[in-house]
Amino acid sequence: MSEPISASRGEQQPHRLGGGLINRSRPVRGLFDGKAIEGFAGDTLASALLANGIRLVGRSFKYHRPRGILTAGPEEPNALVELRSGARREPNTRATTTEMFEGLEATSQNRWPSLQFDLLSMNSLLSPFLPAGFYYKTFMWPASFWERVYEPLIRKAAGLGRASAEPDPDHYEQAYAFCDVLIVGAGAAGLAAAQAAARSGARVIVCEQDFLVGGRLLADDREIGGVPGGIWSDAVVAELNGRPQVRMMTRTCVFGVYDSGVYGAIERVSDHLPQPAAHQPRQRLWRIMAKRAILASGAIERPLAFPDNDRPGVMMASAVRSYLNRFAVRPGQRVALFTNNDDGWRTAKDLRRHGVEITAIIDSRPDVPAPLKAQWSDARVIDDGRVSGTSGGTGLRAISVTTRGGRQRIKADTLAMSGGWNPDLGLTCHHGGRPVWRDDLAAFVPGQAPPGLTAVGAANGRMLLRDCLAEGSEAGRKAAEDAGFVASGEDVPRVDDETFAVTALWHVGGHKAFVDFQNDVTADDIALSEREGFRSVEHLKRYTTLGMATDQGKLSNVNGLAIMAALTGQAIPAVGTTSYRPPHIPVAIGALAGHHRGKQFRPFRLTPSHQWAQQQSAVFVESGAWLRAQYFPRPGEKDWLETVSREVRTVRSAVGFCDVSTLGKIEVHGADAGAFLDRLYINTFSNLPVGRARYGLMLREDGMAFDDGTTSRLADDRYFMTTTTANAVRVFQHMHFCHQVLWPELDVQFASATDEWAQFSVAGPHARDVLARLVDPPFSIANADFPYMGVAELTVCGGIPARLYRLSFSGELAYEIGVPARYGDALARSLMRAGEPLGIVSYGTEALGVMRIEKGHVAGNELDGRTTADDLGLGRMMSSKKDFIGRVMATRPGLTDPKRPKLVGLRPRNAGERLYAGSHLLPKGAAHTIENDQGIVTSVAFSPSINHWIGLGFIVGGATRIGETVMMVDFMRDSFVDVELCAPVFVDPKGERLRG
Amino acid sequence: MADFPLYARSGLEHLLQPGHRGDHTGEPGVAVALRNDLALAYVLVRNGKTGELRTRVQERFGLRLPMAAQHSEDDSNPNPDGLGFVWAGPGRWLAKTAAQSGAALETTLRNELSGLASIINQTDGRCVFRISGPSLREVLAKGVPLDLDPRAFGPGDTALTLVGHISVHFWQLDRAPTYEFAVPRSFAASFCEWLLAAAASHGVVVRTA
Repeated sequence: MSEPISASRGEQQPHRLGGGLINRSRPVRGLFDGKAIEGFAGDTLASALLANGIRLVGRSFKYHRPRGILTAGPEEPNALVELRSGARREPNTRATTTEMFEGLEATSQNRWPSLQFDLLSMNSLLSPFLPAGFYYKTFMWPASFWERVYEPLIRKAAGLGRASAEPDPDHYEQAYAFCDVLIVGAGAAGLAAAQAAARSGARVIVCEQDFLVGGRLLADDREIGGVPGGIWSDAVVAELNGRPQVRMMTRTCVFGVYDSGVYGAIERVSDHLPQPAAHQPRQRLWRIMAKRAILASGAIERPLAFPDNDRPGVMMASAVRSYLNRFAVRPGQRVALFTNNDDGWRTAKDLRRHGVEITAIIDSRPDVPAPLKAQWSDARVIDDGRVSGTSGGTGLRAISVTTRGGRQRIKADTLAMSGGWNPDLGLTCHHGGRPVWRDDLAAFVPGQAPPGLTAVGAANGRMLLRDCLAEGSEAGRKAAEDAGFVASGEDVPRVDDETFAVTALWHVGGHKAFVDFQNDVTADDIALSEREGFRSVEHLKRYTTLGMATDQGKLSNVNGLAIMAALTGQAIPAVGTTSYRPPHIPVAIGALAGHHRGKQFRPFRLTPSHQWAQQQSAVFVESGAWLRAQYFPRPGEKDWLETVSREVRTVRSAVGFCDVSTLGKIEVHGADAGAFLDRLYINTFSNLPVGRARYGLMLREDGMAFDDGTTSRLADDRYFMTTTTANAVRVFQHMHFCHQVLWPELDVQFASATDEWAQFSVAGPHARDVLARLVDPPFSIANADFPYMGVAELTVCGGIPARLYRLSFSGELAYEIGVPARYGDALARSLMRAGEPLGIVSYGTEALGVMRIEKGHVAGNELDGRTTADDLGLGRMMSSKKDFIGRVMATRPGLTDPKRPKLVGLRPRNAGERLYAGSHLLPKGAAHTIENDQGIVTSVAFSPSINHWIGLGFIVGGATRIGETVMMVDFMRDSFVDVELCAPVFVDPKGERLRG
Repeated sequence: MADFPLYARSGLEHLLQPGHRGDHTGEPGVAVALRNDLALAYVLVRNGKTGELRTRVQERFGLRLPMAAQHSEDDSNPNPDGLGFVWAGPGRWLAKTAAQSGAALETTLRNELSGLASIINQTDGRCVFRISGPSLREVLAKGVPLDLDPRAFGPGDTALTLVGHISVHFWQLDRAPTYEFAVPRSFAASFCEWLLAAAASHGVVVRTA
């Protein structure tokens, strides 16, 4: 498994080796920057690029420096490409985690006109003027340039890739999962934990973000229990897959730890396919509820900060092993190694095994353990050395190495570097915990983790494989036990020998030593931050933007704060880390939305006559979650005003009907139902006779008007309450609070009936004639038998149970008829047929609104939470004989002040002028200032009954100023109209039509 | 009068055309039917009458009124069509039956339980979906935030929860598994759209009840 593939196969993939975990029977082809590349199933885009000899993959954010592939994992900061095209184009996609598929198209970012020749690399020349935070000191003068010049420039320069502007053609799902033990990460420690937990019978979910299971075992040449690490992990996986209560989820990353054992995870269902299979989502967001969770996310190798450490060809030592062993790719032909720890030497062993020339091994430690050096007598080993520079333009050609003896130049086309390992512990800090510094590891390990979560293995600072297996197994056993299962301990298999030791090396010294590759932050920038006074780790982050890119500092945070610690003479723990918050990796907004986008953004509610109204070509309006018919245009009508005016005129001269099912309806039963209503409403209901309805107003606890409606009494212990559409849910919640918390002693039972009944208002001079054709004998609808405000339970249309209420919102002779909702559609059609000879029309919410304004009935516009019963002209309804919600607070001086604006009617002085709701009312001739503001216009309508615009509003003095002319002022619509204050009723002021 | 007879409509006719939709490889994983034939009524106990109510229900109907989140039957095979009292919260139950109309059920309960509970008709206030199928748990997991694994929820259990911001009350009838979901009628179309979209990946067949 060592020699490169021979030239006959290798021309396109000159760096392909034998062996690896790729599937050579499935070749795949793709494009990078328009150039054909070849790979195999099992490759990532990064490994395919390297196999094809491509190592320049991008240009850095600020300086446009050439960049190559630095890692083999999700922490990659440089190899960010635009993937796919058209509507599926995704910017900033990491080539290291993108699985190769046939036809893959990738484009490099942040360069023009090409990667090789990027004009903006001139920024590099300007770099002395573009250090961290330069924008705090520039773009200030002249002020006229801010919006016209600087902002467009900065917007263009910001960001790396371009998102598609087209709608996403894929769909996303969300799902819930429950388990006893959640294992995050399926490397050695995670698999050991999963095995131990699963053997107890507990429900186990294993989430692994890679498409293969095994973690570092996929990349490193290890032995467990006498077999290769990969064989061991395959066996464990086979055992886990054989247990039905275990769910193995690959391509799934747990990104967040939330309260109460809730974990967020994102499953990349179809990211590895050209497009999702039929009926499959692109990605799936999981909420996993776990009694216990084990974090086995491993550790991330740390770069070293030396001048020009960002040149393409400089790569993490562990990534070199991944490419050699897992992807069968040679990252280069002449490789040097720079390390400060034992683990880096493993890369040298693997390079030799694959037949790659090693030009030098540089260990920064003066005391390199002898066993490490023992096998390298034939190689150039430099103790106590530092790489102090690199050269080679867009691809590494040589490195500079400094020792006590001086400086030397060593040829290399690849430099594998290892600065130590950082446990990937972000999830342990999602509840605000902070990690703990370990000098012996030169790394942070988890501190106080969220309840129920335990870190194991490398994520917990265990750098030896044997310890990972042991700790993982024990944690899995304990987690299953905590969840209530009996779990026995497992023997830990034997592993091959290894050592771990590290000596921290934070900054070799010199310029352009990159710490945060993605945001182009160097060690010099950290020094600048310290000089400018931004010394705390939080200030360091924001001033330099270190750690703020899409990799969120996975490679840079520790180096950055360690350098700041050295500069400020503090110990690293004193500097500390910034906060870790979910999501641990970027999560697409589409996945968070799931099913709820477009029309399904939120649930919608349909009335029983909805389909009928659609067939009548009604125009609909959204009223909260409801869709309500707004008006019913007829062919030839030029606008809504013409339609609505026709509907109003027809109702007032003949008859019309409107679906009012959306208004809240609540059945209130029980011995104390009347007493309950008395406490909710300002007026009395316990004395309402059976078979009658009464208008009621209720207040909030603070004394403001809350909601109104008509409540009917159907029996001694049965009431039927109604509310406005908008407040139905709020009133229902209020009633539950009052019943459960305030007055549990009241014997009252209530339930929502809003959806139970289809309810229509039937209004107009012929309303009775229409309904007479529908009600079943022996019920009599004659005026004497069923007077105004009467209520009855009856049957209609040959035996259908119904309720009839003689109520009028329109001011005409009117009724409301309710039938069980399944008959609502049919009733609408029957009303049309029964009323056809009488000229019946269907009307919508607009006409409903015009008519109630014509009659001066207050509605939501007036009941806006800032008005009192008195303001509304309903003060006399407040009972003085009983207590009710809001009674006391309504007596506060601010609410009883006679100077409060009161309800009044409005008409334009000049009949042709239009009124606008939301306008303010000022004395005529007064300056248009807030000091002269006297009131507000709340509702307006064009009244076809009197042929001009009318309005309702509130003005200081209210009814006492009837006859006066004031000014209606609307700055938004540039309208200034003389209006006359009048009584708030414009049609049938004596209310004679109601009682006919 | 009978000149204008009224017919019943669920409002879901266009969504629930009978047939197989979604994934067509193999048998459909989910079957959906609308239960138009169920009468429903809330039984809300009056203050201090819980004990008497349980006794009265046992005497008059031979059923145990569940005090925990369960369907009323004691065994694990709830009768899907006969009279049952499904727990609906503290002091409340949803009476259901296919054997009577909504008005008749209301009258029966009001007579038999008079003085002990308030009876409120809910027959038209809900649409009840009967759903079953081998892939149903995977489909429901896309919206039901409760643990439906057989270890945690089985025939005879019930729960009230939100599915995509819509209140639902559901109960399990058998191990197929089969559930019935009672959804407020005005939200039923929205819920149905979610259910059919969630089930598409496993294939869904719409049946008449």
